[in-house]
Amino acid sequence: MLGNKCEKCQAEFFPPVNICRACKSIDLKPLEMPGAGKILSYTLQKESVAGFEEQEPMVFGLVELSNGVRLVAQIVDFPYESLKIGSKVKAVFRRVKADGPSGQIYYGYKFGPPRSPRETSATEE
Amino acid sequence: MPSILILRDNQYDPQYRNMRDVFVLGAGTTKYGKSHLSARELALEASKKALVESGIEPTDVQAGFIANAFSLSEKQGHLGPIIMSGLGIADVPASTIESACSSGASAIREAWVNIGAGIYDCMLVTGVEKVSQLDTITATTYFSFGSDYIFEGACGASFPGLYGSIARAHMSKYGTTEEQMANVSVKNHENGMLNPNAHFHKKITVDDVMNSIVVASPLKLYDACPFSDGAASAVLCSEGFMLKMNGHASEAIKIVASGRAGGTGALHQRPDLTTLNAAVLAGREAFKQAGLAPKDIDFLEVHDCFTIAELVALEDLGFYPRGEAAKATQEGQTRINGETPVNPSGGLKAKGHPVGATGVGQVVEVYEQLNSRAGHRQVKDARIALTHNVGATGGSCAVHIFEKN
Ligand SMILES: [Zn+2]
Repeated sequence: MLGNKCEKCQAEFFPPVNICRACKSIDLKPLEMPGAGKILSYTLQKESVAGFEEQEPMVFGLVELSNGVRLVAQIVDFPYESLKIGSKVKAVFRRVKADGPSGQIYYGYKFGPPRSPRETSATEE
Repeated sequence: MPSILILRDNQYDPQYRNMRDVFVLGAGTTKYGKSHLSARELALEASKKALVESGIEPTDVQAGFIANAFSLSEKQGHLGPIIMSGLGIADVPASTIESACSSGASAIREAWVNIGAGIYDCMLVTGVEKVSQLDTITATTYFSFGSDYIFEGACGASFPGLYGSIARAHMSKYGTTEEQMANVSVKNHENGMLNPNAHFHKKITVDDVMNSIVVASPLKLYDACPFSDGAASAVLCSEGFMLKMNGHASEAIKIVASGRAGGTGALHQRPDLTTLNAAVLAGREAFKQAGLAPKDIDFLEVHDCFTIAELVALEDLGFYPRGEAAKATQEGQTRINGETPVNPSGGLKAKGHPVGATGVGQVVEVYEQLNSRAGHRQVKDARIALTHNVGATGGSCAVHIFEKN
């Protein structure tokens, strides 16, 4: 998860921005996001959007990373019943959805428990 | 250092210098629901009704805006010339305004700007949507194109899911309950029963909502508005044009305020998940422009795409303190005969949500209510009304205030 950081005021962003949203500086450098975060809110979704049919129902959450950056991600390997606002999660690298029409495989980030049983973490902390 | 979540990126207050007064001369709608008609046919039906209500001929229309979000799903873009040609006025300029679910109010807003600025004296605004040809997953996917798709939709998040996240955050922060949200749905279905143009004519109970299937926890099927087909249309004009209209001028409604604001396309980039900042800003601007406060509003039409959205709207617009709209709804304060009637039309939940038409349809309801023509759902002594139309999870919002002339 590559975001960026404002060289002037140190604010961090994901996805990366062209202009710092805090101080409007254009002096930004790429920065790898931390993999650790916590759940701000979450939902168990019966029907998703095209490409996710085989994963339904799926859980996704609004995650706040340890640096304060927020994103939406599918939550995996986490028993839904034990999921709470504030639960700690960690980024994992996964196949995101069904393959594309010409066979391309969509990989990306999802989030799992802090100690994910099956996967290595997507980013170093 | 933590990332920065900005509430307002600039402090600019729009200046409306030398704006002329703008009026809704007439408005009309098709029935909302599943239709066998195409978008263009629906749009023409509503447009003709608005013209008849206004007592004008198509040739009186000087320019138009079409509000639409998903016509490409019917393999038709460029709706402006299609609809103007259908009305026999192909040379009249018209273009599409797209702002997801707030396309309708955005188009009303742009017509208000054009007439207020003195460019045109009479404009036709028609909102239309036709999606019932799509299966549910395709429709949900189209709708998700209105989110920050790469970072929301492409991660699997649908609109029910995003609003489900808002609902859970609201429940956690304010103690709002699923039963309280269900009350919104029950009330709007009750109102929809009284609206002949509503998608649903079905009375439901809190238990019905609670027992309906979970769509995106904690939201259930009866917490969600339907995908609807439909069109709504309004004729906007200047005071000079209105006064030439003899009889029809007496039914004209004055637009006393038009406020709008933006928000991040992505829900997660907002500092607080329990409020739509765009709605707060748009509402504040509209009240300031009108010189009015929530207590002056006789009824509102708000964007209840999900039950939680109506509660958040009432709090964003300042009708209730944070966390208190749920209790007020439970007490019946927002029913047609309550202190603050909300969505007498049935709202998006029961009247339906033909995306591009929704914001224009709210104006149709205001036009009928303020002219005491709303039948059994008439709000007693309604003179001042507010509409609130939201794009997606709050990437855009427009708030209008209307007053009986
Ligand atoms: Zn900066």
